[in-house]
Amino acid sequence: MSIILGVLEEGLVYAIMALGVYITYKILDFPDLSVDGTFPLGGAITVTLILAGMNPAATLFIAFAVGALAGCITGFIHVKLKVRDLLSGIIVMTALYSVNLRIAGKSNVPFFNNDSIFENSFVNRLLPGKLADISVVIILAVIVVIVKILLDQYLKTRSGYLLRAVGDNETLVTSLAKDKGMVKIIGLAIANGLAALAGSVYCQQKGFFEISMGTGTIVIGLANVIIGTKLFKRIGFVKSTTAVIIGSIIYKACVSFAIYLGMEASDLKLITSVLFLAILVISNGREKKVKQHA
Amino acid sequence: MKKSIKTLLLAALAAAALSGCSSKAAPEKSSSNDSTAYTVGIGQFAEHGSLDNCREGFLQGLSEEGIVEGKNLTVLYENAQADGGTASQIINNFLSKKADLICGIATPMAQAAYSGAKKTDVPVIFTAVTDPVAAALAKEDGTPVGEITGTSDKLPVEKQLEMIRKILPDAKTIGILYSTSEVNSEAAIKEYKAAAASYGFEIVEGAVSATADIPLATDSILEKVDCLNNLTDNTVVSSLPLILDKAGKKNIPVFGSEVEQVKIGCLASMGLDYVDLGKQTGIMAAKVLKGEAKASDMNFEVIKEAAFYGNAKVAENLGISLPSELTGSAAEVFTDITH
Amino acid sequence: MLELQNINKYYNQGTVNEMCLFQNFNLTIKDQQFVSVVGSNGSGKTSLLNIICGSIPLDSGSILVGGADITNMPEFKRQRRIGRVYQNPAMGTCPNMTILENMALADTKGKPFNLLPGTNKQRISYYKEQLRFLGLGLEDKLHVKVGVLSGGQRQAMALLMSTMTPIEFLILDEHTAALDPKTAENIMELTDRIVKEKHLTTIMVTHNLRYAVEYGNRLLMMHQGNAIIDTEGDEKSSMDVEHILEKFNEISIECGN
Repeated sequence: MSIILGVLEEGLVYAIMALGVYITYKILDFPDLSVDGTFPLGGAITVTLILAGMNPAATLFIAFAVGALAGCITGFIHVKLKVRDLLSGIIVMTALYSVNLRIAGKSNVPFFNNDSIFENSFVNRLLPGKLADISVVIILAVIVVIVKILLDQYLKTRSGYLLRAVGDNETLVTSLAKDKGMVKIIGLAIANGLAALAGSVYCQQKGFFEISMGTGTIVIGLANVIIGTKLFKRIGFVKSTTAVIIGSIIYKACVSFAIYLGMEASDLKLITSVLFLAILVISNGREKKVKQHA
Repeated sequence: MKKSIKTLLLAALAAAALSGCSSKAAPEKSSSNDSTAYTVGIGQFAEHGSLDNCREGFLQGLSEEGIVEGKNLTVLYENAQADGGTASQIINNFLSKKADLICGIATPMAQAAYSGAKKTDVPVIFTAVTDPVAAALAKEDGTPVGEITGTSDKLPVEKQLEMIRKILPDAKTIGILYSTSEVNSEAAIKEYKAAAASYGFEIVEGAVSATADIPLATDSILEKVDCLNNLTDNTVVSSLPLILDKAGKKNIPVFGSEVEQVKIGCLASMGLDYVDLGKQTGIMAAKVLKGEAKASDMNFEVIKEAAFYGNAKVAENLGISLPSELTGSAAEVFTDITH
Repeated sequence: MLELQNINKYYNQGTVNEMCLFQNFNLTIKDQQFVSVVGSNGSGKTSLLNIICGSIPLDSGSILVGGADITNMPEFKRQRRIGRVYQNPAMGTCPNMTILENMALADTKGKPFNLLPGTNKQRISYYKEQLRFLGLGLEDKLHVKVGVLSGGQRQAMALLMSTMTPIEFLILDEHTAALDPKTAENIMELTDRIVKEKHLTTIMVTHNLRYAVEYGNRLLMMHQGNAIIDTEGDEKSSMDVEHILEKFNEISIECGN
């Protein structure tokens, strides 16, 4: 039981970030490495604010906002300064390492004894006794569902349509008299906002911030998105966002399963790659995304 | 879809098969006539000599108290390879396998263990945590914050400075390389800076953010210092051979923080023996397992005595002689450099 | 009225590969004129369209619309009053969005792309009516992704989408070239119908000399950045394909093709 809870906890936290990666990678077709920096950025901000006495729930919104700002910077570097997409992400990711250290003050900041969204008097009253064991999963599920619904709804707005259009066919966005660069910046802002939100939730769950927590975030995010969307692509009624969330849980389940079997951590990455490759290969029959040649 | 599920299963099977090769055979439970058998989960944050010694010492400590692996002890061991996400999954795994006690080696692992086991009644014993108070694993006065206690590998800073002064009477500056991502190192640097003046030294720090920065940082710090001093910084320690090589070429001595570093070419160290530290931790764990004491009633401990370790071969290469007042009381003086 | 004044455009300026495309090129297109542009490959037809739309920058010269200078206006802003259909049917639609979503996107052009619902349900019957006008049965496939449609169907949609909101200019960049003859014919008829209905000023680049002769009320033949034929009105009506072909062969021989 506890191992299932563990998988759900880990999977749901990373699902929030994966929804962001879904926007950049799947919708915008933009390999955005800045999430490796914005995930811990969310954590650094949360730790600092909680230790300063702020309400843990309020830190979620601030983490999202600051993450979104970092996403705008990636977008600005790419769109206005005309740096390649991959490089823009790397630049921001690298810079954020120092920024995160500055914000948090040091590389490891614990706050076990402060309130968090998972541990406060309200939660303890709402989910007493037996329910306390699964309170973390319940709270995470609520957050993930809210984020998913908001994202689904956003993608159905005019602005959301434009976001989908820019990844699908940039030329059309120009034809619609819209600046495709601005649209990309908005997409990157939302994606990195979600990554920072995930980082905030992650830290509150663990009770401490660690500078290295962001390493490999993008890899996990991509794996989650690809596992989810590839496994469910033939089932019409599963929304992509749902697929991404399930993909995140499957990914963590595989890692957990490997640990459970006593596999050494040094082999974990290899197993992950094998799994990743397997999923890519089986879905290779998929027709290539339509690319326009101007 | 059908095909994808099939392949997923295949992948899972492959994973299972692979793991079959690497998983260690669990000992038969309670094959001896001992009344109780224990399961202990040991989570180690990263893989390097000091931490490995800690683990070894921990098991030795347990067996001194009659809890022996393979007899009445099942050990679940996992290494997170310095990945925070993996660390918390390892702890979850220990909990799901009903470990009686979890041992967290190094700060992030200890924090993950505390965070994960807080909701259960599984006690946590940590070791190789430099500053348990700063890591929020102990209260300001050293008392536990919950069912958690352990040992600290806080460096004997004053003794180390005293030793350097004895070996290098004319030295003025000491360079210390550390990585910004390790909170322990920052704490140690602070302490060195505070204590350096009373021994007539000035500390020059060189910060790195990743292993890749070390060559340049080493070159630049070697221009400014009379000797280098090592902390227990994981990133820097992993690159120690490179640092020793560069320093050796400039004839600049490098001091270590523990015995392993002296073995591979540091001149000397007033340091910890991590096996001893682990042993001390193991004895604490045994008390908790046997029910003689509760983790929440034991304050964390520091290593009792720092001992002198020297390397005569390195001294010869540098043209330095180790003072006899140090070698006389040395725990060990190596005559060779292990590569 | 669209005016191109003293347009100069070089490619690879300052290198050994420097190529002059336009030198002091001038062109004036009156409102509601339908201009067919023909010419060999590399004669500057598509570049002309790109210059008008702002897809490529000018070296010097100015572009005026109704007397106002738009030379330095970025491409996306110019598109407010321009509808453009490309040779590649994929460029006028979003393949991963449904027919309905594509129509709604096009319908929002010129309005703010804010957080209102992307598809206005009250407009659906209007979209259906517009799609019915194409005669391809697309009105019954509103929830089908555009990516699965044929090239002709997509191009018809692209044409519809680019002319859905009020625009002044319609730019057609060999928009029938990638289609089979029958579909091309349909698209051409559709184009003519829309242009006439909406009174659009139209510039159509085509390789099909018959279309150039049959449609529109002005004909340009481009060669090395110059208009070597420019006829309109009755004079244009009297032109036939043979006449243009003759001229075409003449210049081709000059070039040694």
